[in-house]
Amino acid sequence: MLRTILLVLVAITTAIGVGAGSVWVALESQEGVGAVTVGGWTVFPNIGTPDADPYSKARVAREGVLALGRAEGLTFIAQRDSSGARLRRDCSYLVEGTAPLARFWTIYVADTHLVVLDTTRRRPPAVHSIGLLRAADNSFAITISARPAPGNWLSLQGDGDFLIALTLYDTPVASNSGVDAVDLPQVLRGACDA
Amino acid sequence: MHRVLYAVLVGLVGAGIVHVVILLLLPTYSQRDAWSRLTEMADMYGVAPIDVMPGERPLLRTADPFFHSVACRFDLADGIAHVGADGKVPFWSVSVYDRTGQNVYSFNDRTQTGPSLDFAVMTSAQIVEVRKELPQSLEQSVFVEANIGEGIVVVRAFIPDSTYERPVEDFLKTVDCGVD
Repeated sequence: MLRTILLVLVAITTAIGVGAGSVWVALESQEGVGAVTVGGWTVFPNIGTPDADPYSKARVAREGVLALGRAEGLTFIAQRDSSGARLRRDCSYLVEGTAPLARFWTIYVADTHLVVLDTTRRRPPAVHSIGLLRAADNSFAITISARPAPGNWLSLQGDGDFLIALTLYDTPVASNSGVDAVDLPQVLRGACDA
Repeated sequence: MHRVLYAVLVGLVGAGIVHVVILLLLPTYSQRDAWSRLTEMADMYGVAPIDVMPGERPLLRTADPFFHSVACRFDLADGIAHVGADGKVPFWSVSVYDRTGQNVYSFNDRTQTGPSLDFAVMTSAQIVEVRKELPQSLEQSVFVEANIGEGIVVVRAFIPDSTYERPVEDFLKTVDCGVD
């Protein structure tokens, strides 16, 4: 009798524990169901729309966030550099290349919950395409590091992992299904503090 | 031993069911969704700034530091939700969300003729009513058809640099959210 109760308890604990845990893991990650990965960047093209999959819907409800509409823009998130390693705040990075067609775009740094990082400096923790130095072929390079750098510099402070969010505003990429065919900049890792 | 393995196996099948149930119920039972968080900030039809402070958990998924945003809540059961704003800013965009925070309609400044923002959210039934006899207040408005009850409107405006701070603030201050 006691053994039966014990076995039922084992079954129930496994069901609730594994079931709830797997939902948590699936929603905590910035990658996962509903995401499209393009050259190291992750995008949820349908998040926050009625066409979204159940995971994206649950994600929106759980985080209590409002997502950008299709006519507004599209956010690409990088949490790894070009070699596949997670982005660390004690390293310097170079975001290099060209951005897809859009009226303008912005890049900001955020923690792993997409909360904008406080730079504690009198600089915005972001850069945008209208105020950017570019090479002759219209490509750009942005240094993301704790130490000031010449050219385009995005200030970074603290330690731990971080994310880079690239948002294209008023872009044809959002309304067409061409999300996986766009050319996005590369995230290259430079030197790290030991 | 076999019976323990059997219990774990049954548990794993149950875990699959629990996973699906939690996933599907989460949007309905979430206590801290965008609507609840806005309720704490302003009354119905009250316009609340939802700007991004560094280090704070944002209400917008894309908490762009170059943007200032305001939001208001409406209920189409009260009548047509009419939103307007005036001013000249480099870029503005608007989203209409339903009660659960799903984006049902969005547009930006190039969708509208003229620089000012003027649109009305209404259900299909309300559109039919309005088209019979167009009220003067809605003559210039963009009609947004959304078959929802309660909803949220968010207006965002872009600040390329600090010199645009004032015009954008003034623009967002003129945002008016009401029933028609």
